[in-house]
Amino acid sequence: MIDVILVDDHLMFRAGVRASLDDTINVVGEADDVDSAITMVRSLQPPVVVLDVHLPGGMGGGGAEVIQACTDLLGTVRFLALSVSDAAEDVVAVIRAGARGYVTKAISGSDLSDAIRRVAGGDAVFSPRLAGFVLDAFGAAAGDVATGDDELDRLSAREREVMRLIARGYSYKEVASELFISIKTVETHVSAVLRKLQLSSRHELTRWAAARRLL
Amino acid sequence: MLFVTTATTERLPLRRPRAGRIVGGVCRGLSAHLGVPVGLVRLVMVLLTVVGGAGPLLYVFLWVTVPAGDPVQAAVEQRPAALSRLAPRLSEQGRRLPITDIAVGLVLIIAAGLLIAARNGVDVATTWVLPSLIALAGAALAWSQLDAIQRDRLRAQSGGRTPVSVLRLIGGIVLVVLGVFLLVGRDVPVEDLVRSAIAALAVLVGTALVLAPWWLRLVRELGDERAARARESERADIAAHLHDGVLQTLALIRRQADDAEEVARLARAQERELREWLYDDRRTPGTSLVSDLRGVVAEVEDTRAVAVDVVVVGDCVPDAGTEALLQATREALVNAVTHGKAPYSLYLEVVDTQVEVFVRDHGDGFDIDTVPTDRFGVRESIIGRVMRRGGTATVKSRPGRGTEVHLCLPRNGRNGEGA
Repeated sequence: MIDVILVDDHLMFRAGVRASLDDTINVVGEADDVDSAITMVRSLQPPVVVLDVHLPGGMGGGGAEVIQACTDLLGTVRFLALSVSDAAEDVVAVIRAGARGYVTKAISGSDLSDAIRRVAGGDAVFSPRLAGFVLDAFGAAAGDVATGDDELDRLSAREREVMRLIARGYSYKEVASELFISIKTVETHVSAVLRKLQLSSRHELTRWAAARRLL
Repeated sequence: MLFVTTATTERLPLRRPRAGRIVGGVCRGLSAHLGVPVGLVRLVMVLLTVVGGAGPLLYVFLWVTVPAGDPVQAAVEQRPAALSRLAPRLSEQGRRLPITDIAVGLVLIIAAGLLIAARNGVDVATTWVLPSLIALAGAALAWSQLDAIQRDRLRAQSGGRTPVSVLRLIGGIVLVVLGVFLLVGRDVPVEDLVRSAIAALAVLVGTALVLAPWWLRLVRELGDERAARARESERADIAAHLHDGVLQTLALIRRQADDAEEVARLARAQERELREWLYDDRRTPGTSLVSDLRGVVAEVEDTRAVAVDVVVVGDCVPDAGTEALLQATREALVNAVTHGKAPYSLYLEVVDTQVEVFVRDHGDGFDIDTVPTDRFGVRESIIGRVMRRGGTATVKSRPGRGTEVHLCLPRNGRNGEGA
């Protein structure tokens, strides 16, 4: 049984999500704006918070602002972003704030339950779209490859392969069998990419997200 | 010769950002504008100081002339409204030390200390240095309003009143007057000083009386304009929220109505349209391979009542080669939808050297060699099209693992006329 808080400003959608989740997920609270979400997350401290990217209230930072206000809890509380928007700047903003994954609202109930379990277990949830953004932001050209593990600004060759397969619509399992590695290894690569996405000070990353607004 | 490779080469306008600044945000703004690391800009600024003090001069000049604001936001505002997304942007969460305020406070405290010391008979620089410094500090304080205008406006909009700008102005005037008096009246007796002060004050009051109507009109006009802008942004918020709500409902319908194909098709089309208006900044037609691709996908989705998961990396200006690739992609997609099973994925990757497309379905798969050459459209319409443009096309299909078509077209500038 995994306790979650749902944060979304649309009552209809919260009701729909609540109904579609399977038996292993227990919704312990709902919030509909930035301030009430922060208060609720701080008082309940559930293992997973599912939150919309666009939320009213606060300083206009939406879901990213909620996560930033709870940065000290990130070890115990994990955030999964759920949004109708799949615009690059929205995705990158919440991931860099500390979210462990990003899924769109068209996701089915069982897939969402899976994603919540995965996030609760400490893994990252990468949709094909998010993998595409990562490749776009870190440079998709094959020559631009990290040499050491500690290099935050570039992807390693293996990480790039994994990202490309995910972007092409492969599940973690399919990626594993395509590359002849275990699912656990795929998860390790994905977590490493998530970490780079969150910590990289890569000049182009900010610039890229900024330029995406102008596309 | 390579022509435009990506659409991200546009320069950000020159602004002094509030986030990440140390003094006035000039270096940070220059770095965003020129696209070079901020450390380098700061280093050059410091080095220029050695060259006859050019650094600080340049800095102060830019501080006064360049408006404050987020460069990215400014670039967005410069775009035509019809091409921008409707939904509001998330605001940046930058941290900021009030270094400017601390510096001003320090300078004032030092000045006050010096003044007190001078009164008590200690001989500090009572000549022209100290008064000039005080006058300069006053001028800096008054000018700093320029910097604060945007922040104050934001605060005023959220309901709170800000006496800060008034205090800034009064403090500045007091300091400048004090400095000028100390400077001018060094050897003049106190009575003369007071008399001339009164005369100066009278002239100022007279001028103020004459200019007051003009100033009032200016203030009123500014107020009207602000109200109009607030109304407009409110309207945009409402529109965005409405559209957002429709999108939510559509997502629900699509998830639940698995039997009603027509409903799903309409929902998909409507959702795509709203998404585009709400969350995408649209490109000018004919300049983006990605928008052309989305058009092709939309057509297939609408005619076949399916959903295709599209992921793109990079973008380029369409040419004859990419046009052929697009047609081949369309054929591959139709093929996947006809023979395969959902979910369908399409991945487009544009890098400097090549354009790649992957079209994948989750059907039963087939063996391409067993398909008779005359019966299957794959060879001519997909593989042939791309090969004639100097590209490669492979079909990978394994029983139970679906089929994936991989198209790859090298980008070597304009010599794409291989047909």
